[in-house]
Amino acid sequence: MSMGTVWALLGAALSALLAGAGSAIGVGKAGQAAAGVVTEDPSLFSKVLILQLLPGTQGIYGLLIAFITLTNIGIMGGSADMSLHKGLLYFAACLPMAVVGLISAICQAKAAVAAIGLVAKKPDQFGKAMIFPAMVETYAILALLVSILSIFGVSALA
Amino acid sequence: MAVMPMKRMTIIAMRRDRKQLLEFLQRQGTAEIDTDTEEDGRYKKIDVSAQKQIFEKNIRSMEDALEVLGKYEPEKSGLLSSLAGRKTLTLEEFQEALEKRDNVLSVVSKINSLYRDYSESLAAVPKAEMDKEALAPWTGFDLPLDFQGTKKTVSFIGTLNGQLSLEDIYVMLGELCECPDEVDVRIITTNDTSTAVMFTTLRKNEDALNDALHRMSFTKAPSQASVSEGGQPLTPAKAIERIDAQQQRASAKRQQIISDIKGFADRREDIRLIMDYFKMRSDKYDVIGKLNQSDHVVIIHGYVPAVDADKLESALNDRFDLACDFSDPEEDEDVPVKLHNNAFAAPVEGVIASYSLPGKGEIDPSMAVAVFYYFFFGLMLSDAAYGIIIALACGIILKKFKNMEEAVKKTFQMFFYCGIATTIVGFIFGSFFGDVVSSVAQTFFHVPEATAGKLLPPIWFNPLDDPIRMLTFCFAVGLVHLFTGLGILMYQDIKNGHVLDAIYDGLFWYMFVGGCVVLLLCLPMITGMLGLSFTLGPTVKTVSIWVAIIGFIGVVLFSGRESRNWGKRLAKGLYGAYGITSYLSDVLSYSRLLALGLATSVISSVFNTMAGMVGGALPVVIGVILYAVIFVIGHILNLAINALGAYVHTNRLQYVEFFGKFYNGGGRPFEPFEEKTKYFKVKEEI
Repeated sequence: MSMGTVWALLGAALSALLAGAGSAIGVGKAGQAAAGVVTEDPSLFSKVLILQLLPGTQGIYGLLIAFITLTNIGIMGGSADMSLHKGLLYFAACLPMAVVGLISAICQAKAAVAAIGLVAKKPDQFGKAMIFPAMVETYAILALLVSILSIFGVSALA
Repeated sequence: MAVMPMKRMTIIAMRRDRKQLLEFLQRQGTAEIDTDTEEDGRYKKIDVSAQKQIFEKNIRSMEDALEVLGKYEPEKSGLLSSLAGRKTLTLEEFQEALEKRDNVLSVVSKINSLYRDYSESLAAVPKAEMDKEALAPWTGFDLPLDFQGTKKTVSFIGTLNGQLSLEDIYVMLGELCECPDEVDVRIITTNDTSTAVMFTTLRKNEDALNDALHRMSFTKAPSQASVSEGGQPLTPAKAIERIDAQQQRASAKRQQIISDIKGFADRREDIRLIMDYFKMRSDKYDVIGKLNQSDHVVIIHGYVPAVDADKLESALNDRFDLACDFSDPEEDEDVPVKLHNNAFAAPVEGVIASYSLPGKGEIDPSMAVAVFYYFFFGLMLSDAAYGIIIALACGIILKKFKNMEEAVKKTFQMFFYCGIATTIVGFIFGSFFGDVVSSVAQTFFHVPEATAGKLLPPIWFNPLDDPIRMLTFCFAVGLVHLFTGLGILMYQDIKNGHVLDAIYDGLFWYMFVGGCVVLLLCLPMITGMLGLSFTLGPTVKTVSIWVAIIGFIGVVLFSGRESRNWGKRLAKGLYGAYGITSYLSDVLSYSRLLALGLATSVISSVFNTMAGMVGGALPVVIGVILYAVIFVIGHILNLAINALGAYVHTNRLQYVEFFGKFYNGGGRPFEPFEEKTKYFKVKEEI
């Protein structure tokens, strides 16, 4: 076991941790708003549920990055031995997902709460309401992409 | 495959026919009726609010009755029964059923009054309980609680706070009363918090004792509770008996009421039908109140899809004495929009409608949206097994519930096609429950990893092995999507006779963006980055440079063409050309196709690996069971979360990237006067 593995694992842990925490906060906030709407009109349950889940994807992306990092660094079986240099590269690769995941989930929750309010007043505008939180998610997806490509890139390095 | 052409409808009919006429139009449900016409001197609108109120009151009481029935005799309904749709009746069946109207109304008021009795009876329970509780300490007492005393003596019956003994009470009396010796104290019962006591003394000491008791915070016994129905005082024990008997009678009565209510359960369908009938009448009166009518004539304006116009005209003429006219709408009229497409494209009409229906001069983008919608959904979910599950589930539901409401049906059809696309994409990129084939082979059949990976080879390649190639593919797909949007813009302009606009806003952009893309592909650095194996030759490079330059100049010169001032126009043009950056960000946005696709397959393999780790470490039978459990839970979760993601982001790509290129919307939806009922619809063939 070398210092490199420690850094790489720290990266994987952070991406699951921060993105997951962000999603938990986000889904929680949106859930409160959704529950409020359902008390008034139970028939909107499925619509507000979808909106509530939107900030939840960051947590999944974080898990994804954590998992591919774990498999690549050999924690999940295989030899867990790598240079400090490479470990730091993995750590850096995980950072976009970790940080953007945390922040975007919280921001997306705000948009989702507002969208839930919109659906409560105008249920037929669900299609539009869904797009506003989805705009925020774009940045989580971009971060996910950079993290995935970086991890694949780093693992391809010698 | 387009926006349906509409005809403007004008009907001039006899006023006496108006109700039958509107009922007929309502059953047909093909005509939208204008409700914001102006009054003029001769033709006026009439006030129908009184009738409407009656209908609405009836509807409300029926809703209440149905709710009561649902509470005591719930209907057995399956999970999907809400998809079954409204039951269809012929006109004859409907009219026959209407004869039961008065009977149904009396049943409804019966149910409601039974339920009121029930609620009242139930509301009396807490009071009886309280009375009983208050009497409980006095059960052993053999006098009525309002016993005042005899000729010479006076009695106070009530409770003192705290658990007190006879001695305690005399001590307190000694402090507060001048004559404790002349007071007789009898403790009836005592508990943790209070003591029930009877004080008796001579009449002359009444005031003194009363005063003392007051200061000992003495509470009088609940004497009201211990009287008979006739007002005669009873002993506490008898009073409790009486309350119990009363409660028993009330409870038996409530049982009776419930069984009476249950007895009406078989009238549920009748109530629903009559409720729908009143709903239709209420809607009809809404329209009547907005029509212009004179003493003998009523005028109805509206819109009818051109395909239905002829049939409607002849049917109207057959049935009524009226004059009707169907003409093409004027250029500047606000004609309502209804889309009509083939079975492949129609399901996405809802997606378009929830953005906005096509505005004036815009074409119906359903076909283009459908192709890309299904494809993008497939790319983002990208798992053959998930696709099969979705397609099968939607297919079965569609087959089972043929009578589904149109909008719901379209949603299921849309996901059916999305499921098929997902299946195809899944096989192309070699994902079936992620890597379950290889995982099972390794865990239970001990196939080496290298061979196991080849058991279900992708038709093209596995994005996990070569994400850059997939990214390039996604960008290419995105470019095609954006260029399709631009193409529709040009087509729209040409169709509306603005050929020059088509060149300025469409062709120049094709040249500008297309030239730049080809130019980028000529650079070895870019092709190397995107993992493309080819490099374009220098001729292509020169041509692409020139095409891009012509496009650029065209955009600069013409995108500010509404400004007369050339300086301003060029400045606007340059700003317009800056819009190339939005193409860059639009294309990059399609990277979500890759990201979400990878998310599905990576999370699938996470669960498969977890299942494999658990399943492989245990004896075969337990291993298989645990593998299956983890597998099922994991994949249900993954399917749900990723189908949601795919749905949301497919919509986003359509709304933001695609519609941004050509589509403004703003069309007013066609809202025909129809049966907006809950349970039944009446069908009349014409």
